Amino acid sequence: MARSLSLKFANTGDNMFSSIRIAIILTMLAAAGGGFLYVKKLQSDLETARANVAKMEIAVQTSEQSLQLERAESKRLGELNSQLSNDLQKAEQYGDELRATLQKHNLTHLANKKPGLIEKRMQNATNKLWDDLESITNPNANDRVQSTDSGTKDSNSN
Amino acid sequence: MLTTGCSLLTPEPKIVTVTNTVKTTVPIVAHPKQVQLNDVKIYVVSKENYDEFVKEFEAKNGADAYIAISIKDYENLSLNFAELRRYIEQQKQIILYYEEAVKPEEKTTKPE
Repeated sequence: MARSLSLKFANTGDNMFSSIRIAIILTMLAAAGGGFLYVKKLQSDLETARANVAKMEIAVQTSEQSLQLERAESKRLGELNSQLSNDLQKAEQYGDELRATLQKHNLTHLANKKPGLIEKRMQNATNKLWDDLESITNPNANDRVQSTDSGTKDSNSN
Repeated sequence: MLTTGCSLLTPEPKIVTVTNTVKTTVPIVAHPKQVQLNDVKIYVVSKENYDEFVKEFEAKNGADAYIAISIKDYENLSLNFAELRRYIEQQKQIILYYEEAVKPEEKTTKPE
């Protein structure tokens, strides 16, 4: 009786140990599987992170290129603006010269003294003005402001 | 495993870069045709050449009616024309400025 009891006990002990072994093996297998999956996930995340970094670099490059373009455009517009200011200033030249000439000379006196001479000069200056007006409205002409030597240096400007 | 297990549920976010450049293109219209001006004959008349002027004027125009303008008014007329000329030139320069500003970029091909 005592012997059979000890045998049963021994069997129960063996069973228990084998169950524990199986449990340990299963746990180890699960851990290995989990670890494998975790490493796979880490690798996948790493790939995504690398791709993200590459995309970020491209984005930074694009951004820098856009900035450069913006700077170049800003510089170009600044130069254009400066050119426009010069041209607007040049356009004032004709009127300024004319005013100066008219102030310098007494046309009434000159017309009384030498009507023929003044008439000729006035006629020339007037013809030159018409020519200039035709020229500055010509769409195919040089686009910059023309020089203003249209008779304004004479005593009889138009 | 327990501490890192949650990271399995949150995947690394993917970055999507979309570059979209929009530039408005304004068509440049043709400029108006140039002005065609008619000649104007000017007579400067004083006591010295009045008789000669009347004779010449009648012979040329067939009448003795004319429009007279004082020297001062002639000067004013000249200044008015100078102002119009200035305005036309400046307006033209401003149009050219805008045309140049909105002009599309010239694509330069690099020689191989």
